[in-house]
Amino acid sequence: MKYVEPTSLSEALEILAGDDEARCLAGGATLVAMLNADLVEPSTLIGLRRIDELAGITATGDQLRIGAMTTHAQIAVDGRLTGNAAVVRDAARQIAHPAIRNMGTIGGAICHADPNADFPGALVAANAVLVAAGQSGTRQIPADEFFLDYLETSLEEDEILSAVMLPVEPSGAGARHLKFSRTHGDYATVSISLVLVLDAGACSYARVAVGSVGPTPLHLTEVDEILTGSDLAGETIRQAGRKLMEAADPVDDVRGSAEYRRMIIPGLLQRAVDELREVG
Amino acid sequence: MSANMADNMQVNPIIGASVPRIEGPEKASGRAIYTDDITRPGMLHAALLGSHYAHARILSVDTSAARALPGVKAVLVGTDLPHNYIGMFIKDQLPLARDKVRYSGEPVAAVAAIDVQTARRALRLIEIEYEELEPVTDIEEALKPGATVIHEQRDEYPTMYELPREPNAICFTEFMEGDPSSAWDQCDVIVEDEYQVPAQYHMYMEPSSTVAEMDGNGKVTVWTSTQGVARSQMYTALAMGLPMSKVRVIAPRIGGGFGGKCEFTNQPITALLAQATGRPVKLTFSREDDMTMMKRRHGGRIYMKTGATKDGTLVARDCRIVLDGGAYADESPEVSPVAAFFSQGPYRIPNMRVEAWSVYTNLSRASAFRGFGNPQATFASESQLDDLAEQLGMDPVELRLANALEQDDKFFCGKTIEKATMKACLEKVRDASDWAGKRLHGTPARPGKKRGIGVAGMSHISGLAGAGANVLLNEDGSVTLNCGAVDIGQGSDTIFTQIVAAALALDMDQVNFAAPDTDSSPYQFQTSASRNTYVIGNAVKKAGDDVREQIYRHAGEILECNSADLELRQGGVVGVKGVPDAALPFAAIAGRALWQEGGPIMGTHNWLYTPQDRMDPKRMLLRGFALMPDAIGIFTFGAQVAEVEVDEVTGQVEVLEYWAAHDVGKAINKASVEGQIEGGIVQMLGYALTEEMLWDNGRMINPTMMDYKIPGMADAPYKIHSLLIEEAEESAPYGAKGVGEICAVGPAPAIANAIKNAVGARVNQIPATPERVLKAMQSADDAD
Repeated sequence: MKYVEPTSLSEALEILAGDDEARCLAGGATLVAMLNADLVEPSTLIGLRRIDELAGITATGDQLRIGAMTTHAQIAVDGRLTGNAAVVRDAARQIAHPAIRNMGTIGGAICHADPNADFPGALVAANAVLVAAGQSGTRQIPADEFFLDYLETSLEEDEILSAVMLPVEPSGAGARHLKFSRTHGDYATVSISLVLVLDAGACSYARVAVGSVGPTPLHLTEVDEILTGSDLAGETIRQAGRKLMEAADPVDDVRGSAEYRRMIIPGLLQRAVDELREVG
Repeated sequence: MSANMADNMQVNPIIGASVPRIEGPEKASGRAIYTDDITRPGMLHAALLGSHYAHARILSVDTSAARALPGVKAVLVGTDLPHNYIGMFIKDQLPLARDKVRYSGEPVAAVAAIDVQTARRALRLIEIEYEELEPVTDIEEALKPGATVIHEQRDEYPTMYELPREPNAICFTEFMEGDPSSAWDQCDVIVEDEYQVPAQYHMYMEPSSTVAEMDGNGKVTVWTSTQGVARSQMYTALAMGLPMSKVRVIAPRIGGGFGGKCEFTNQPITALLAQATGRPVKLTFSREDDMTMMKRRHGGRIYMKTGATKDGTLVARDCRIVLDGGAYADESPEVSPVAAFFSQGPYRIPNMRVEAWSVYTNLSRASAFRGFGNPQATFASESQLDDLAEQLGMDPVELRLANALEQDDKFFCGKTIEKATMKACLEKVRDASDWAGKRLHGTPARPGKKRGIGVAGMSHISGLAGAGANVLLNEDGSVTLNCGAVDIGQGSDTIFTQIVAAALALDMDQVNFAAPDTDSSPYQFQTSASRNTYVIGNAVKKAGDDVREQIYRHAGEILECNSADLELRQGGVVGVKGVPDAALPFAAIAGRALWQEGGPIMGTHNWLYTPQDRMDPKRMLLRGFALMPDAIGIFTFGAQVAEVEVDEVTGQVEVLEYWAAHDVGKAINKASVEGQIEGGIVQMLGYALTEEMLWDNGRMINPTMMDYKIPGMADAPYKIHSLLIEEAEESAPYGAKGVGEICAVGPAPAIANAIKNAVGARVNQIPATPERVLKAMQSADDAD
C-alpha cells in the first residue's frame, strides 16, 4: 500500500482519479480501524492533512464554511457555530471520546455515512450543504440528498468532500442534538437533531432529524410542518413523534431492538424540545 | 487478647499506610515491560485461526498453501500436536481442535512467521473442510435427553470428580440442610422467581500474550501475561509432554486478569510453536481474537424460592442454578459449586436445598471471573430478599439485619463463621448512605428521571491453596523477597513489600520484590480467590519473621543479650531495648553470617489455610464438590448501597452514588483497598447495566469494544464511598483479608433493587439494559 500526502486539492483529485483502488485518509478514526480489521485494502492512501483548502472554519456572510478536515474537537468549541449551526457543534461535542474528537474530522465522518453517527442527523437538521470537489469543478449537495443508504453517499468515486456549508438562517434559532447511547462515547441508540425558532412560545420554524433509526437520517417535512406554527404543546409533539415513529426503519442490533428504538422517539423528541426551551 | 493481636498492636506504621505502588514510576512513565514489549533474537510472530463454526467435525485440513507462503516458518493443526488433553478438574481440551470444533473462535491452526502480517495472511490460505453439526447454545436444551452431545468421549477424560449422567453436563452439585420440603408449611410469605445472568468478558486492558523460546537442551522459557507462573508452567508442560522441570515461566508486568488469565491462555500453543520452529515465538491476541478465543464469566439461569415467617425470619430456600460452562470445562467444576455455596447469602436459612449445574454448550469457555459464581447466585438471592421485604412490609436493610449471620453461627453445611461482621457492614452502609432518609422520603430526581436506592449484602471467601515465600538478607542489610506471586494490577507487589518492610522495620526501597519466575520462586498457586494478601501474605510475613529471629540470634550473640531484649530500629538496625548506643546494622549481621557464623540468612515459610472445623456430613447432604468448600478459606462480608436514577423515556439507569462497606480485617494499604473496591464496583456496573456477550447461532456478534460496552469514567458514579471495617482476623497477616472479589458480588443486585425502588419494576435479567428496564416499567404499569 502506498501513502501519499498531496498539498493541494487538485493534486489529491488527480491522484484519486488515476487510481480506482485509492482511498482518502482524513482523521483516520474510522478508516484505520477498518484497515486493521482487513475490511478495506486500498492500493493507495491519500492523506489529506496537508491540504490547506480543507482546513478550518470561516464565516462568509450568511454561511459558515467548515473545511472537511476540521476535527470534531475544533467544531465542538467554535463559538461561531450559534443558532441553526449550533446543532452541529452540539453533535460534535458528543462524538465518542476526546482522543477520537481530536483525530476525527467532519469530512471523514460524513463520507463514511454511518447512520449511527452524530453528524448526519445534525447536518440534515441544520439544512447544511455539502461541497463535493471533482476535477471538473464543485457540486453543492443538500445534506438531505447526500446520505443515500447505509455507508453510501452521493459522492462520486473521483470526488472529495471539501467543505460543509452551514446557513446562519433562520435567525434567532435554537438547536439541540440529543444523543441517547448505552454508555458515554458509544454510537447513539437514537439521536434527535432539532432546530427551532421560538417566538414567545410559538414555533415559527422547525427542522427535525432522527439518527440511528434507519439507513439515513430520518427527516420528514410533514413533521417540520406539524411543529411550525404550533405552540409545541404536548399533543403536537406526540403527533410529530408518532409520525417519526411510523416512518422510522431501524434495525435490531446490540444497541437495541428496532421496536424499542421506535418506541422512544416521541419521548426523546419531547425531551429535545424541553431542553432547547430551557436553554432558550 | 491473643498473642497475635498483641503483636498487631505494635506493628510498624507502614502497615495501613497508602504507600505508592512500587511499580508506579515505570507504569506512569510508560516504561513498564509487558509481554508484548519483549523481543528475542530471531523471534517469530504467531497468529491463530479460529473456527468459523460453533460445532462441526473437521473432515480435512489443507495447509500446503499457507506453508508455501514466503516467511512462514511453521503451520500447526490439531493432528500435528501430541494428543495431550489439558484442564483443571477434567482434562477435556487440546491446544488446537483435533477432530471437532466446539465453539466459534476455537483455535484450529497456528502459524509462526517472520511478522504478524505474514502469519495472518497464511491463516487465510488454510483450507479446512467441516461437517457442520447442530450447535447447542441453550443450557436447558443441552441437559434434555436426546440433546446433541458436545463431548462424545467425556467419560474417558481424566477427571477429579464424579461426572453426572447427562452427557452435556460438566458437573452437578447438590447441598441440602434442614428439611426444606416440609419447612414451607411454616412460612407466611413465599417468593419465587427466575433470574438470568449474562456472559461477561474479562476485558483486561492487555489481551493475552506469550513469548516462548526453547534452548539447546530442550528447556522452554515462557514470558507470559498470566495470573500464576506455576499454573502456566504446569499446563505448558502437560501439553508438550515435558516434565515441569523443562519449562520455565516468567511473568513481566500484567495488564489485568480478573480470572481470565488463570490456568492457561495461549501459553501451550506458543511454546509448541517455539518447539516446532526452534525459534522464539510471540503470540499476542488482537482484542477480537481475545474475545472470541479466550474466556468469560458463566452466564445462566437461576430459579429461587424463599420463605419467611411474618416477623421476617428466613425459614427455607430452594434454588436451582444452571450455568453455561461453554465448550470446555476450565474451572466450571468449582464455579457452579461456589455459586451453590453462596446461594445462602450472609444469612441464616435453616432449611435449604440447592442444586447447581455447569453445562457444556457450543459457546466460548466460561472460567474464573472475579467472584467465581458468587455474583450470579447473589444477584438472585439479593433481588429475592427485596421482594420478600416488600411482601412482608419490612425495610430491606431491617430484613437483612434480622437474618444476618452472627458469631458462632454456622454457614451452609456447617462451616463456622470466623468473624461475624455482616451486621456491622449493613449498619455502616445504612448510616453512611442516609438509607432511612432516602428510602422514606426519597430525593428529588432530575426532570424525566425517577430516583431510587437499593441494598445488597454479600459474603465471600479468602484463602484458597498454599503458598511459600523466601526472604534473603543481602550483604548490605537490604533484603530480597521472592514469593512467586503475580501482581495483575491489584497491587500485591506493594502489599508484600510493605509486609516485609514491617516485619523487619526496613524502608520500602530496602526490600527488593523479585519478579515471579518458576526457576527461582517458591511454588505458588495463582493470583485468584481473594487469596494473595491473606495466604501469600501469611507466608511472606512469617518468612520475614524468620529473618528477624535469625538476626536476633546473631545480634544476641554479638551484644551478649537475650533475644527478648532486642528491638528493631527503622531502616535495618537491631538494638538493645533502652540502650540507644547498643545497635548493629543488618549489614554487620549479614557479614557475620556470610563469613564467620552460620552462613547467609534466608527466611522461609510455607502456609496453607487450615479450616478450624471440617464440614459436618451428618448435618447436610453434599455431593459434587470438586474441592471441599470448607477448605476454600475464611469468610468475608460486605454490604453495598446504590443510588440510581432511571430515565422515564428510555429506561436507562444511571448510578449516581455508591456506598460499599467491607470487612477487610486490616487494610495493609488503604489506597489499594479503596482502589480494589472502586474497581470491583465499576467493573460490575457493566455487568449490571451494559455488558453481555451475544451469540447468534453460536457466532459471537459483539466481539469488539465498539459493540460490547464496558463503563467508562463518565459512566461511573460521581462518588464511591469505600467504608472499611477493620476487625483483625487472627489467622491473617496483620489481620488482613482479601477484598478483590467480594466487592464485585454486590453491584448487580444493589442496582437492580435500586431500580425497583425508583420505578417499581423488578428486572430479573441483567444487564438491565434501557430496553429491559423500560419493558419492566411498562409491565409494572400494566399490572397496576
